[in-house]
Amino acid sequence: MTWPGPREGQGLPGPVTGGRAELAPASGPTAPPAAIELRGRQPKAIHSALSVIEEVARSGPGVTAQEISVALGMPRATAYRLIALLVEDEYLVRMPDLRGFALGRKVVELASLVAPPPPPRAARSVLDALRGHIRGGIHLVRYDGDRVQPLDLDPDFPLTDEARALRELDASAMGRLLLAELAATGQPLPGTLRASAERVIEIRRETESAGFARQVAEFSRGYGCIALPIRGPRGRLVAGLALSAPATRVADPGDVLDRLRDGARSLEPLLG
Amino acid sequence: MTALERAIASPPPVPGLGRRSPVEGLDRRSVGFVDVLAQSVSAMAPSAAATLLPALVAGVVGSPGGTLLALGTALLLSLLVAGSVNEFARRIAAAGSLYTYVARSLGAGAGMATGTALLLGYGFISMFALTGAGHTAALLLGRATPASAAAPASPLLPAAVIAVLAAVVFLVVAGGVRLSTRVTLVVESVSVVIILALVVALLVTVGPVDVGVLSLEGTSPAAFAVGAVLAVTAFVGFETPTSLGVEARRPYSAIPRAVRWTVLGAGGFYLLACYSQLVGFRALGLDITSSDSPVDDLASANGVEGVGLMLDVGIAASCLACAIASMMALARVLFSMGREGVLPAAFGRTHPRFRTPLVAVAASVPVVAAVPIVTALAGVALWDAMRVLLVASAAGYITAYLLACVAVPVLLRRIGELTAAVGLRAVSAAVLLGGALVAYLALEVTSERWAGVLVFAVGMAAGGISYAIALSRRPWLRATIGVYDEPVAADVLGAGSAPAAPGGE
Repeated sequence: MTWPGPREGQGLPGPVTGGRAELAPASGPTAPPAAIELRGRQPKAIHSALSVIEEVARSGPGVTAQEISVALGMPRATAYRLIALLVEDEYLVRMPDLRGFALGRKVVELASLVAPPPPPRAARSVLDALRGHIRGGIHLVRYDGDRVQPLDLDPDFPLTDEARALRELDASAMGRLLLAELAATGQPLPGTLRASAERVIEIRRETESAGFARQVAEFSRGYGCIALPIRGPRGRLVAGLALSAPATRVADPGDVLDRLRDGARSLEPLLG
Repeated sequence: MTALERAIASPPPVPGLGRRSPVEGLDRRSVGFVDVLAQSVSAMAPSAAATLLPALVAGVVGSPGGTLLALGTALLLSLLVAGSVNEFARRIAAAGSLYTYVARSLGAGAGMATGTALLLGYGFISMFALTGAGHTAALLLGRATPASAAAPASPLLPAAVIAVLAAVVFLVVAGGVRLSTRVTLVVESVSVVIILALVVALLVTVGPVDVGVLSLEGTSPAAFAVGAVLAVTAFVGFETPTSLGVEARRPYSAIPRAVRWTVLGAGGFYLLACYSQLVGFRALGLDITSSDSPVDDLASANGVEGVGLMLDVGIAASCLACAIASMMALARVLFSMGREGVLPAAFGRTHPRFRTPLVAVAASVPVVAAVPIVTALAGVALWDAMRVLLVASAAGYITAYLLACVAVPVLLRRIGELTAAVGLRAVSAAVLLGGALVAYLALEVTSERWAGVLVFAVGMAAGGISYAIALSRRPWLRATIGVYDEPVAADVLGAGSAPAAPGGE
C-alpha cells in the first residue's frame, strides 16, 4: 500500500465513526458486504476509494478492474464495488473496450480540495532568484502533520523519484528534516515509516548539529540533497527549502549554503 | 496523493476516445432518478396487473396460499433477472436497452434476436395498453353521457378514443424525455393511489389477518409452476429504464436503482393486492376465479359504491402511462438501430430542440395505434384480440431477459470482472427463464390465445430474416451494432488534450 494515508495501521479513528464503530465487527474477519462496510467503517472505505483513484493515476489509462484489485491487494468483489461507485460519481471513466478505466474529469475537483494552495508570488520570486544563482534543483515543500506536500518543485531539475522522496521520510533530505522535527517535538511518527528507532535518533542528531537535513546517494548515485527548515510562528516547522545537486556539492555546500539560508529566511514571513 | 497530482498536472493522453458520442443528439444526462423510476413503474402497468392478476393466477393454481406463493416466486425470479440486467446497467449507458447489452456481449446476431424480442415486447404491450386505455375511456365516456349508453355500442367510439390517446402518446414521447417521464409519473401516481386506496379499504372492511388464506390445499406442483410463470408476466417492463442510459443524469447508479426498486415495489404491491382480494373473497365465501372484475365485485359486496368508476379511471391511467413508457423505450431501440445502420439512418435522427428520436417515434406510434384501431373498426371482440397480443409481448420480454442473463457472464468474463456470485445469479436466472419461456409458450399454444404464440414466432422469424438480408447488403453491420454512450475525450481527465481515436472525425 503506497497511499500516504493518515497513520494507517494504528487502528480506526474511533471518534470519527462515533457510536457506529461499535456496530461494526471489531475485527471484521469475514468481509461484510461493502454497503455495510461503507456505513460502518467510513474512514476506511474513503481511504480505499482514494487508493483506487491513486492506483488508476499511477497505472495510467486503460488499467483493468482486475489489475487494480491485484495491485492494491483488495478482495475482487470489494474492488469492483468501489470502482462501480467511483464510475457512478464520474471520478473514473470506463473506457469503450469496457475493460479499462481512466481518470474522470471530476478528479480535478477532488484534487483542488486536498492540494495545497500555490505559494504566494513573492515566494516564487525568491525561488526564482535562488534558481538563477545556484546550479542544482531548488525545491519548496510544505509540511502538513506528518506529510510532505510539494509546493514548488524545480521543473528544470525534476526529482529522481518524486513519490518516494515525499513518502519515505527517512530517505529524502526533505523527509529527514520533518522526521527530525517530529522526533524532537515528541510527535507520533507516521505508521508507514520503515526506519528503526535508532536510525531516527541518528537522523535527528545529524540534522540538529548541521542545522539542515542531508541525504547522499539515496536516490541516484553521485547525487544528494540538503533541506533547510522554514519555521513559522513559535518555531514550528512549516516548510522546507531543498537543493538537489551532485554529491560533492551536497557534502560541502560552501557559500551556496549561505545563499540558501538567506532564501529560507526571506521565505519565512511569506509561508509562516 | 502524488501520482494523482502528477496526473492532474499533466494528464496522460487517453487513446481510443472520440470527440463525439455515437448517440449524440439525445438529451444527455438530463433526467433524475425519480423520472427514471417513473418510466419503469409505468411500463409495468402495476395497477392493471394488481387488479387482473390475482384472479388469473388463482384460476391456474387453485389455492389461495399457492397463488401468493406463485407471486412470491415470480418476484424472486424477477429479482434475479433484475440483478443480472443491472450488471450491464452499471457498465453500459445505452439507449437500446437489452438489445445493446446483448450485442456488446454475445455479438451482433444474438443482439438482433434480443432486439427483435424487445421490439415485440414493447410494441405489443403498447398496443395492449392503448386498447386498454381506449376501451376503458370509451366506457367512462359512455357512462358520462347516458344517451349514448342506451344506444348500441358503436365500434367508432373506442376507435376514436384510441386514436386520440395515440396522438397524446406521440406528443408526449416526441416532446422531450423530461416531459414524457413527468407525464407518466403523474398519471401512474394517480393510478397507483386509487388502487392502493381500494386495497386498503378492502383490508379495513374484511379485517387484515386471515390465516386460512395461506392454505396450499389442492395445488399440484405443476399448477403452481404454471401460476408462477403467469405471475412473471406481471413483472415484465422493469428493464425499460435501461433505455434511458444516455438521458439519465447518473445512469450508472440511477438505472440499477430504478430497476431494483421497481421490482421490489411492484412485488410488494402485487402481494398486498392479491392478499386483500383473496381474503375478501374468502370472507364472502365466493370464488375469486368466478369474478370478471374482482376488486369491483368485492367493493360492491362490501357496500362501497362508485368503486367501479374509480377502478376504471385507475386502469385507464395505468394503461396510458404504460403506453407512453413502452413507446419511449421502443423508440430508443429503433433509434439505436438507426444509428448503427440496421434501420435507415433517418431512424437515428433526433429533433434539434426536443432532443428526442423524432423519426423513430413518428414511425412507430402510427403502427402501434393502427392495429387496435383496425381491430376495433373490424368489429372483432377487442379484449380477446388484445389478450392474444399480450401473449406475444410477454414471450418477447422473457426471450430478451433470457438472452440478457446468458450474456452477463460472457461479458464479465471477457472484461475480467466475473465473480462467482454474479455468475451464479445470471446462470440460475437464465435456466429458470428458459424453463418459464417453454412452459409459457406450451401453456398459451394450447389455449384460445394460441395465435399469440404464432405472432411471436412469426415476429422473431421476420426479425431474423430482415437481419440476414441487411447483413448480406451491409456486412459491416456486425461491427457497428451495439452503439451506446461511449465516453468521449471531454469526459476524462485532461479534456481536449487527448488525441481523437485513430480514423475518428
